Formats: sequence, structure tokens, C-alpha cells
Amino acid sequence: MSDGHNAPTRLAADGPDIDLKEEGTSDISRDALLLLIACIIGLISNWVGHGITPLDALAGMAILYATSVGGLALARYVGLGLPSVAWVSLIAILLTIPGVPGSAYVVGAVGKLDFLSLATPALAYGGLALTSKEFAIARSSGWKIVLVAICVMLGTYLGSAVIAQLVLSITG
Amino acid sequence: MHRTLPFQHLVLHALVVVIVMIAEAIGILKIPIGFGAVILLPILYAFAMGIAINPAIFKATGKLLKAPGTKLAGTMITIAIMPFIAKFGTTVGPKIAEVAAAGPALILQELGNLGTIFIAFPLAVFVFGMGREAIGASYSIDREPNLAVIADKYGLNSPEGAGAMGVYATGTLIGTFVFALLPPLIHSLGLFDVRALAMSCGVGSGSMLAACTGGLVGVVPDQKEAILALAAASNILTYATGLYAAVFLALPLTEWLYKTSRPGTASGDLVKGAAK
Repeated sequence: MSDGHNAPTRLAADGPDIDLKEEGTSDISRDALLLLIACIIGLISNWVGHGITPLDALAGMAILYATSVGGLALARYVGLGLPSVAWVSLIAILLTIPGVPGSAYVVGAVGKLDFLSLATPALAYGGLALTSKEFAIARSSGWKIVLVAICVMLGTYLGSAVIAQLVLSITG
Repeated sequence: MHRTLPFQHLVLHALVVVIVMIAEAIGILKIPIGFGAVILLPILYAFAMGIAINPAIFKATGKLLKAPGTKLAGTMITIAIMPFIAKFGTTVGPKIAEVAAAGPALILQELGNLGTIFIAFPLAVFVFGMGREAIGASYSIDREPNLAVIADKYGLNSPEGAGAMGVYATGTLIGTFVFALLPPLIHSLGLFDVRALAMSCGVGSGSMLAACTGGLVGVVPDQKEAILALAAASNILTYATGLYAAVFLALPLTEWLYKTSRPGTASGDLVKGAAK
């Protein structure tokens, strides 16, 4: 699933019809509306999972909404080869660095929202978005590819963990 | 521009609300097993429920949710993950000193993403005897930007493309589960600093990031703030560097390994289009 990336290449032309999303070509007003829906569902998710009412978490969600729209706009108009999720992250970091005006308020407001509850809606959409072609590819690839894929994930994770552990043990 | 929301879109969002409410009502489950614990997260139930009622699997729900709905679902993944990414970013600021202190480790561990080549490539080539599929399958974690690299260089109908698509589809189906289960188990080995395990969570996929950090926070709840901040920082680095590492390091290295282990094999251009 294309969670959070704007892949730069159109793939459908010469391959299986996997729909890689291209945020760069979609219009921001449409995305802003869809984001509003996602944020409302995020408030419901946080409410059910952690008992914090949507009203209580509203200020925090408004900040996350503005940050997301800002990230979309920066990716569209500034770009610099960074996907919109990278811009969203950078804005969010800047807003919360101690000493930046209002950072304490931002940290307090978004503190009402659980990070994992905000990912739940995206995964629900993800399960519903899978196409019969994606299921077909997974089935026809066979068990060998499944084992290779698990080793790819294991290797990517462990490789980073080993290097991080070594460097941390040197630098402390 | 949007006069009314099409009915299919409303059906999709309504289904997601129901799934999310059920998943969050169940909450995080921690199942102790021998030496460690299996952490089950609401994102896993939500994804599983989405698949369970996916019209491509169950014809019955196809009457309710038709093509325009599932197509919007694809768009909504990239949109709905954004508030999560934003929230994740806000965990970095308050911990900026700790993140900066871990700077060298954070930057160097990005190279660790090449670790897939040393585990998955030998399995594919020497154990399973795969051909050039092995290159696409094992050179990277095969999320969208990596897939785009393969599509650009070989085309998705090439053997390399088939390998990459297979790992992509498998990762889409089980990646969230693997990244929720694996880190807590590795943590229980006692070999790794939880900071090292946290900063390795940034592999360039929002759902894998959520699963990985969710699992780690499940087993080390008192380190929650540090885990989130380090994982978020590493994820941003992956967004910024992942594509370049794939093009200039991972793919040339995998190609070289393949040529070295299979001397005399046809190059990608010669076999391009040979796959069905």
C-alpha cells in the first residue's frame, strides 16, 4: 500500500496495474477535504481507544491538520525532492522544539492524541484498498517469495539495529 | 469542486469508522510467550478487518463497496497517514537534545537498510536458486519509491520487476504484522539498546513504522517518548536518503553480487520482457 509516499514514477504503463499514488499531481483542495475526513475519524479512534473526547482533543487535531496541509503545500510548491510526509515531519518538529513560541502549547495539545490510534484509520483503508491484482501477485509469487520478503524485512531491520547498537556503544 | 460526496465514498468512510471503533475497542493485547511477548495492536485488527471485507476477497461485500470506493481507499491511505506522521514529528522537538546526541548512530544506521542484501539475497540465489528475480526481490524493502526505481531501470514486466512486485505485495499483506511482532521479540534477546531498536523502525513505510514503534512501546512503555522521537527522526532520514541509497548503493551492489555469484548470466537488457 502506498502509505505516505509520493512515488515519482508512473508504473501502470508497463506493468501490473498497481496504483502508486502521486500526491504531487493531485490538487491540494481535494486533499484538504479528505484530510478533514481522516482527522474526524482519527478523533473517533482516539476517543474509543483512549477515552479522550473529540472536543478535548480538537485543538491538537487542528494543529496536526494544519501541519499536514502545510506539508502538502510545501511538497507541491517547494519540493526539493522531499515527499510531503517529510515536509509534514519537519514542520511538526519545528513547532515543538523548546524555545519556539507556542511549542509548550502544541506539545500539550497533541499530547491528547495517541500516536497509534491515529494510524488505525490508515490501516483500515489499507485493508479495503487492496486490489484483486495485488492478491493475485502475492498468490502467484509463491512461498519462496514470501520467505524472501520476510528475510528482506528482517535484514533491513536487523542491519540498522546492529549498526545503531555498535555506534551507540562507542558514542554512549 | 465537491458538490456532494458520492455515495460510494460515504460507504467507504462509514465502513472505516466501524472498523476503527471495533479495533480501538479491543485495544492493545500483550501475550506472553516463553522468553518474550507477542504484541497485538489495533492497527493489525483494522488491517485484517479491512482485508476480511475487501470486495476482492469476499464477493458479498462487493454489492456494498464498489470500484469507486476501493479506489478512494487507496488515496485515503496516503492522506490518513499524515496526521499520524505529524503527531510523530511532534515527539521529536521535546526530545531534540537526545535525538541530537544519538546523531551519529541515527545517520549511520541508515546504511543498515542494506542488511537485506546480506540476508535475503543469499536465500534467494543460493537456497532457492532464483534468477534475476532475486535482484528486485532482495535489493531493498521494496516499498513504493524502491519499486519505482526497479520499474524505471528494468520495467515491471522484467524478472527483476516480478521479484520486486512479489516482495512488494507480500510486504503489503504481512509487513505490518512482521514489524509488530519482530522488534519486541528481538528486544527480549537482551542484545540491543531499545534506542537502537527504535531508530531502526524508520524503514520508509508509515504502517511498518507504526507497527514497529507500537510493538516496542508495548514492551518498554517507560521509554515511550524516546522510542517515538528516535523512530520519527530515523524515518525522516529514510524519506530523505532512501531513494538515493537504493539507486547508488543497494542496486549496484546487488547487481554486482549477482554477476559475481552467477558468472555468464545474461544482463537485464537481454532478458527484459522474457517474463510472462
